[in-house]
Amino acid sequence: MIKAENLWKSFPMRRDRPGLKEFVVNAPKYLKDNTNRFWALKGVSLSVKKGESLGIIGRNGAGKSTLLSLLLGVAKPNEGSIEVSGNRTPLLELGAGFHPDLTGTENIIINGVLLGHTEKEIRERLDSIIAFTELGDFINMPIRTYSSGMQMRLAFSIAIHTSPEVLLIDEILAVGDESFQRKSGKALMNLINGGVTTVYVSHSMDAIKKTCDRAIWLEQGEIRAQGETGLVVEEYLKAQGGSGGGSDG
Amino acid sequence: MQINRKTRQQLDLLKLLVKKEVTLRYKRTYLGFLWSLLNPILTGVVLFIAFNIFMRFEVENFALFIMAALFPWTWFSASVTMSANILTSNVSLIKKVIFPKHFLLLATIIAQLVNFIFSLPVLIGLTYLYGSAPSLNWLIGIPVLVLIQFVVIYGLSLLISIANAFFRDLEYLVNVLISLLFWMTPIIYPLEAVPEQFRSLLVLNPVTYLMQAWRDLFFSNIINWHNIFISMITAAVVLIVGLLVFKKLDRKLDEVL
Repeated sequence: MIKAENLWKSFPMRRDRPGLKEFVVNAPKYLKDNTNRFWALKGVSLSVKKGESLGIIGRNGAGKSTLLSLLLGVAKPNEGSIEVSGNRTPLLELGAGFHPDLTGTENIIINGVLLGHTEKEIRERLDSIIAFTELGDFINMPIRTYSSGMQMRLAFSIAIHTSPEVLLIDEILAVGDESFQRKSGKALMNLINGGVTTVYVSHSMDAIKKTCDRAIWLEQGEIRAQGETGLVVEEYLKAQGGSGGGSDG
Repeated sequence: MQINRKTRQQLDLLKLLVKKEVTLRYKRTYLGFLWSLLNPILTGVVLFIAFNIFMRFEVENFALFIMAALFPWTWFSASVTMSANILTSNVSLIKKVIFPKHFLLLATIIAQLVNFIFSLPVLIGLTYLYGSAPSLNWLIGIPVLVLIQFVVIYGLSLLISIANAFFRDLEYLVNVLISLLFWMTPIIYPLEAVPEQFRSLLVLNPVTYLMQAWRDLFFSNIINWHNIFISMITAAVVLIVGLLVFKKLDRKLDEVL
């Protein structure tokens, strides 16, 4: 279950980072200064019930990723409250937490533990995680030798095998090849049908329509529309000039 | 049960991060882990040649005298220097995964501690070479001093790592300050060699007593409780300041990484 109310989030807009001297002299100003700030989110509220999946769409810079990082808890809102119950599993960025010089297997273990599991729990699931990736002998190679699609296979496989309760996904799935996209899509649907709460950010309207019960359209940090996925997507595409292949779904 | 699993998971995480730190640092080198030992030894050799052979410092057992403080100093300086960019070089981890950030600092400090422990046999060898031997005092002194120095380093790392995220100049400043501190700490010279009127300045240096205590232990085989006590107070102050600043700046960290 996710419940977020009136989220505001801003970032400092400064052309140059202050140097040490400047910082020390103006320390109170830099620590307090709220004037030149870019507001990435302006009063966004949302709630996702347990087992529901919410799609978030919008143009680049609309605040989608900021919203996800607030829901994940790696960034804190300036205002507003967030309540998330359940073990949060992010699928945000390729290779976040992966070390290029470690092998696939070593990365699975360290990543699994970073996601909040004990080493023993991960080792018990190691075989099924590796099997799902279909990486073969590559699993024992340093992941700097992997293509981005292969890294995504690894990240996705870890995430779905670590009993997620709340999945936060940012676009990542678009990287894989056709067959893995089908496979991961199916695995994702299984999780969602099995009661996992999902927030899914994507520019692929087809993926959003396939996966999500509801959708939110973000524009310039505010919710422009929300509701049943098909309707929101249609409205969004219309506003973008009707281009793109999403209208055939 | 719930608490137990959480603790287990945290310990596993710390263990894996330390292992990663220890094994990956010299991953693509030929000498590998040996570098962490060679580094202080070669520095010691250079200092020995410069000050004992060329400048004829009149200190007995000069090699042991230097190494007794240089090895603990290396643990201190390497960890503190590295701490500056620990947060700024793990941006993707910090912004995309929820985990205790200070574990990154702890892992680096522990990995450097491992290096220090591996350098102890060299010190033991040197003591025998100079016709002495490690005493039972080492068994008490080493753990006590390790603990104190750990706290000092951790406090400084908290402070420096998070401050560097906000003004990145600090990383370079720390480098300079650490080498300045090296010469301002009685490592290659005894505190007594400093003229009386300057000695009180050196005493303001937070690691003077700590390095003195290490040398008292390794070089003179005594546990100097006076130096240890002052170092403890320093450690407590540094830790409290570090924790407070880290907590305060942590709220804004995601904006600047």
